[in-house]
Amino acid sequence: MTEFLQQIVNGLTLGSLYALIAVGYTVVYGIVQLINFAHGEVFMIGAFGALATWSVLFKGQTGLWVLPIMVIGAVIVSVVTAVVMERIAYRPLRNAPRLAPLITAIGISVFLQEAVRLFYPGAKSKLSFPEIDVVTGAALKIGGLNIQRAAVFTVGSLLLSAVLLWFFVNRTRMGQGMQAVSEDPDTAQLMGINVNRIIVIAFALGAALAAVGGVAQGLLNSNIDFRMGFLAGLKAFTAAVLGGIGNIQGAIVGGLTLGIAESMATQFIPGQFGGSAWKDVWAFVLLILVLVFRPQGLLGARVVDRA
Amino acid sequence: MSTSTADLAHDHSHDDELVKVSLLDRMPGRGSSAAWPLGLAGVALLVAGTFLSWSYTGDVLGDLSINFYPGGVQICMIALGLVALLFLLAHRGPLHRLGEWLDTAGAVRALGLGAVIYMVIVVAVISVQSGGLINVNPGGWISLLGALVLAASGLMLVSRQHRDPLFAKTSSWLEILTIIVLMALLLFGAAYALGIGDGPSFSLFLIFVATVALGLTRAGVFTWVGLIAQKNRPVLMLGAFTVAFLFPFTQGGSDENMSIATQVLIFAATALGLNIVVGLAGLLDLGYIAFLGAGAYVGATLSTSAFATIGWKPPFIIVVVVGALFSACLGLIIGSPTLRVSGDYLAIVTLAFGEIFRFTMGNLDGNNGPDLTNGPNGIPAIPDLAIGSFDFGQPHTILGITLGRFANYYFLLLVLAAFIILVFSRLNDSRIGRGWVAIREDEKAAEAMGVNVFGLKLFAFAGGAFLAGMAGTVKAHHDVSVTPDQYIFLESAFLLAAIVLGGMGTVAGVLVGATILKLLPEKLRFIADYRLMIFGLVLVLMMRYRPEGIIASQRRKLEFHEEDEGLAERLEEVHLEEAEAKA
Repeated sequence: MTEFLQQIVNGLTLGSLYALIAVGYTVVYGIVQLINFAHGEVFMIGAFGALATWSVLFKGQTGLWVLPIMVIGAVIVSVVTAVVMERIAYRPLRNAPRLAPLITAIGISVFLQEAVRLFYPGAKSKLSFPEIDVVTGAALKIGGLNIQRAAVFTVGSLLLSAVLLWFFVNRTRMGQGMQAVSEDPDTAQLMGINVNRIIVIAFALGAALAAVGGVAQGLLNSNIDFRMGFLAGLKAFTAAVLGGIGNIQGAIVGGLTLGIAESMATQFIPGQFGGSAWKDVWAFVLLILVLVFRPQGLLGARVVDRA
Repeated sequence: MSTSTADLAHDHSHDDELVKVSLLDRMPGRGSSAAWPLGLAGVALLVAGTFLSWSYTGDVLGDLSINFYPGGVQICMIALGLVALLFLLAHRGPLHRLGEWLDTAGAVRALGLGAVIYMVIVVAVISVQSGGLINVNPGGWISLLGALVLAASGLMLVSRQHRDPLFAKTSSWLEILTIIVLMALLLFGAAYALGIGDGPSFSLFLIFVATVALGLTRAGVFTWVGLIAQKNRPVLMLGAFTVAFLFPFTQGGSDENMSIATQVLIFAATALGLNIVVGLAGLLDLGYIAFLGAGAYVGATLSTSAFATIGWKPPFIIVVVVGALFSACLGLIIGSPTLRVSGDYLAIVTLAFGEIFRFTMGNLDGNNGPDLTNGPNGIPAIPDLAIGSFDFGQPHTILGITLGRFANYYFLLLVLAAFIILVFSRLNDSRIGRGWVAIREDEKAAEAMGVNVFGLKLFAFAGGAFLAGMAGTVKAHHDVSVTPDQYIFLESAFLLAAIVLGGMGTVAGVLVGATILKLLPEKLRFIADYRLMIFGLVLVLMMRYRPEGIIASQRRKLEFHEEDEGLAERLEEVHLEEAEAKA
């Protein structure tokens, strides 16, 4: 039983991370029906942004007070990346055939990875992420369960982000504009909503959450590298689809479900095909099954013709 | 004259064209009668300069320091000057009737600007490598001046073109001769380029080739070449195959270049298989490298390597068939979701399959599953192929020319590539190919017209996988070892990029794309570390400015530029003419 609960805890941690990234896929998809394949790199850049902020401003500091500033640094770097990416690469392709933005996304993804590898000092190998008081260090023990401190941070930031996101989408003019655009962009434009601005905001919103995810990942693993965005991005995309792409609650539910499914698979699939060596395989199998049998996801979403 | 048919032919959007024309119109001296003599003077200066020394020291860019003995870098400029002269003479003078068909002004413009870039880089390289501009000799400055004058003349000339080269009637011997000359130039150019040792000279040669190609494209020559290539397909195929066959004989047994050439061929063969799936059927496959990997793993496990885990050692021809069939089965499995998903979702399903393949191959090491693949270490020490008494590991001498190990594989791969091209073009021309085009352009309409959509999609996947599997079995022996990390997602992205860069749905495009992607990183070692970054950037720019690729099929071009009605009408007319000619 403890084992089971422990896996739930691990799964929730992993799932919160996926959910933070998945929101970015879903928000953008909901508005422009574009799968922003390069979103995983935005997450990676966020982690590097946080590390850069720390190394430039607070090298050697471990106080909890640097964490918010690191997060802000991460968010700024990620948001700028995402907005520039939208402006330069995606916007000109808005009415192009589907293949074009997908290939562009692969190009951006490779470009960003390589740019970080080449131009961030020391990024050719793994870089260690700073230890911060309170959120890293010895794991908490509650009733036989080991809970990493960074896991508390991850789940906590997901909760906070979810509340803020809900408030933004439902209680602000901008958020209502987003809803309107995702319902029907043409009509929204006729009603005087600046669709281009809403799209930029969608990209920025997703990037901000991904940046928080990047910091969480750095704290959890205590190191980051330029390749971390690819797999995390794919998993998060799985999560977004699992929950129903285009649906923000769905992204969060999907992320948590995927995280728990992955840790359960690691622990409870017996024999040679269990264990951590196969966990990624099971995640991808889940992705394929969902795409094939329930493309609208668990919570359901308006499925546009994807042809 | 501001909206000549030539401009219509070359510019996709009419807005762009207006801006361009008005900018050009504001050029001082535009349309003046001085433009043409100025162009001749430019060519004369450019060529005269090449016969003089360019550099004080003899160790920069080959040897450019001797008067009246042009080095390779200088000969390129002579060739460029001659091409420009040809276009100038077509503009006015003995070849003036040609000028009605070709946009000579555009060609001279492109050639002139290219020559300026070329000469500026030459001057920069000389001054950087031997310490200061002082080392640039008068010849270099004269050629640079010539290039500038040529460019100015190009900007001042006004096109006389008023006929579309698509409707040119030419005699068939001229067409065949053109193809033969082009093929010979291709062989010569490839052999020459591979022989260039230093990076800067190689880059300059690339600029030269790109400039001439751009000039010919601007003029509309390639529109015509594309047309005659379609008309004389057998001659073209035969010519291309001969050129490829003769290539190893130009290398004097150099294994280094042949190794690059075999890599290009493996890559191109795989990309051609992918082109069936992506280019013809329009299904985006992001896990295609898994099929190559499946073939390679079959080739490795059935080889006589000491690390192979299966006891059965059939002859190679059977291994090829088994590898291809195994791959095709995987293709069927991966293709089966196409019944339900399409578009971006399909791309991601295939990506996931590709990753599952890689993880699985890495896991089947006896600890995490049955021992089949030795896990992350892969299967090393795969022996060279031996078909009958012909050992691919040993050099052979034919007509006094030694052909090394890689040349042996090169010939085998050439046969394979020819087979794949044959399959590709026969499929493309068949009922199946037309079905794929229909699915690609509008799946619902195709289905309504009675096209077996699911069957054809599955066939595209299985067929493409079959061909990649064949290539994989050869690759296993060529590479000596097979490991999971040879088959990462990035490789699939590279394959896709080869198709996108070259031109979707065309054989020539894929060959060009594959060559660019495999050859450039090998030759441009000085940018080796930046090559992936540049690759990403090129993908983005390509999608932005020329989504149909370098050598696009006309039909594809139209799909990417639906709003371009001029192009649509032109295509319509050509099709009508062809139909009339047949009837």
